[in-house]
Amino acid sequence: MNTGLFHPASVDEALELLARMPDAKIISGGASLVAMINARLADPAALVSLARIGELKGVSEEPGGGLRVGAMMRHRDAAAEKRFAGTLMVIQKAASVIASETVRNMGTIGGAVSHADPGLDYPPALVAAEASIEIAAPGVRRRVPAEAFFVDWYATALGPGEMVSAVHLPAARPGVGLYHKFARVSGDYATVSVALTMVRDAKAIATRVAIGGCGPRPLLVEEANRLLSGNPSAEDLRRAGELLQAAADPIDDVRGSAEYRLMLIPRMLARAFEEARASVGAMK
Amino acid sequence: MSNTLHVKIKVNDSSVALDVPLSETLLTTLRDRLQLTGAKRGCNQGVCGACTVTIDGVPVRACLSLTACCEGQSVLTIEGAGADRVIAALQDAFIEEGALQCGFCTPGQLIAARALLERNAEPSVEEVQQSMSGNLCRCTGYRKIIDAVRKAAQRLQS
Amino acid sequence: MRIEGSFDVAAPRDAVYRHITDPGLMAQCVPGCETIEQLSPTSYRACVTINVGGIKARFNLVVEVTREEPPNLVLSQTRGEEDSRASVLSADNELTLVEVDPHTTRVRYVSEVSVTGRLGKFALGVMKKKVEAMGRQFADRLRELIQVQTARQAEAPAAAAAVPTGSASTGILP
Repeated sequence: MNTGLFHPASVDEALELLARMPDAKIISGGASLVAMINARLADPAALVSLARIGELKGVSEEPGGGLRVGAMMRHRDAAAEKRFAGTLMVIQKAASVIASETVRNMGTIGGAVSHADPGLDYPPALVAAEASIEIAAPGVRRRVPAEAFFVDWYATALGPGEMVSAVHLPAARPGVGLYHKFARVSGDYATVSVALTMVRDAKAIATRVAIGGCGPRPLLVEEANRLLSGNPSAEDLRRAGELLQAAADPIDDVRGSAEYRLMLIPRMLARAFEEARASVGAMK
Repeated sequence: MSNTLHVKIKVNDSSVALDVPLSETLLTTLRDRLQLTGAKRGCNQGVCGACTVTIDGVPVRACLSLTACCEGQSVLTIEGAGADRVIAALQDAFIEEGALQCGFCTPGQLIAARALLERNAEPSVEEVQQSMSGNLCRCTGYRKIIDAVRKAAQRLQS
Repeated sequence: MRIEGSFDVAAPRDAVYRHITDPGLMAQCVPGCETIEQLSPTSYRACVTINVGGIKARFNLVVEVTREEPPNLVLSQTRGEEDSRASVLSADNELTLVEVDPHTTRVRYVSEVSVTGRLGKFALGVMKKKVEAMGRQFADRLRELIQVQTARQAEAPAAAAAVPTGSASTGILP
């Protein structure tokens, strides 16, 4: 039967179902999928629920200090996860401003990254945190760096019949991770967002920035990161903002015109950078 | 193409058995099949909060929940919350403070406020704002809702 | 939403003009075009699929040329919808030709596109990006097709001499 609701007990079983029913959709928290169904943008005849797959729940520590975050981790739990400390705070902060409390009880990290809406909070935070996405295919798992996972508008590196099984985070480093979001109202999708991690190493800093809401993928410009590291001057900061603007391809929509988003990039970058630098400076 | 699934759920402590299409939301089931019209369809996108109910004690959006996925779970709507001490205190405070006008958002506000007070017995103004930011109101301007929630909190403490 | 752009074609302006008034040829250049049916010398029906992430939208469109001012202007209208009117699309299109030199023509396109319904309501910002990308792909295909045609004609001048000008052409030139 190729219709109905299925509750596989393992990732392998879920993949078998997807292989058998190419038109089936995965349902994780349902926050994105059911909204799409209500908007008539999806009409799946079959659903594969991930609710009973133990492997997808929880956070586990990996040798080397990194974290494996199961795809079903709810935003509510990510927002309260104490192990997202130091530079990994960018993840905790992004999760805590997704939508509202009630929606955070439902949405999951795997569902969010698979949906890849350009205004989501996780994508730039994951890119700034140097996360990688674990993709499960029949018989094989592979990891894709976050910046390579988001490919185009609502499009990811997931192939047909594949699913996100986890998100891998590198070990937290001493420093800060912050997520600034500009939206029309609390809980809205981001008009523009800045995800920033800053590590302090002796006298120099190492900064990594990703911009959300300004293109099909989070903006990551290595030259901008380089300019924002070491001992950046005001000119370096200005130039980094310019580079990020040049890399942007924002949409015009009700949340802001493309022009407005471009204008916000260097301003928000400067605020985030200065806040991070002050925090790191105040650390022992 | 619709596929009917047989689902057994608890709604306000009563067991219910239903045959629903795969893509039917809990909101549609509550309102159209069970005549529990307290939960409202405001945006049908999970943004406005007028459809907020609890599933197994956790506040969720009924418009983003598929009934077929609720097998074995326990749903509580505003209609089933009458005897709840926290809801009762909130209802009195809402009326006294004028925290409702048209009443459309009110069931969702109460469900969300109860969840807050169960977790935080003395929320500050900011904490109420943060916690209830997912419940939109077009009438009151929110001030009175915040006052009502904090008044109810105070009463429940004493 | 306003979609505009321009591209240069290595062909004389008169030749480019004949091509852009050929509904069959124009339809071939539309990305995602699955079927074309010529309805009249100045109109055709096309079934075009637009992909946005996992969403496939199949539009049944009718394109009609509404005004021709040889050798430099063509106005046309596109009207259509998805099955069961899930989305409705309409576009007013303007194509202008400018002679750069005797063998090169600059084609400029401006379209005012309106999308209502499910795609207009929830994904309009991204739809605009998609339609802009389709505009660029259309331009690339049209330029290539015209240049190929023009090169073939240069090799067979006797056959080309019999082709009429204006909207009377109904098929692809040999």
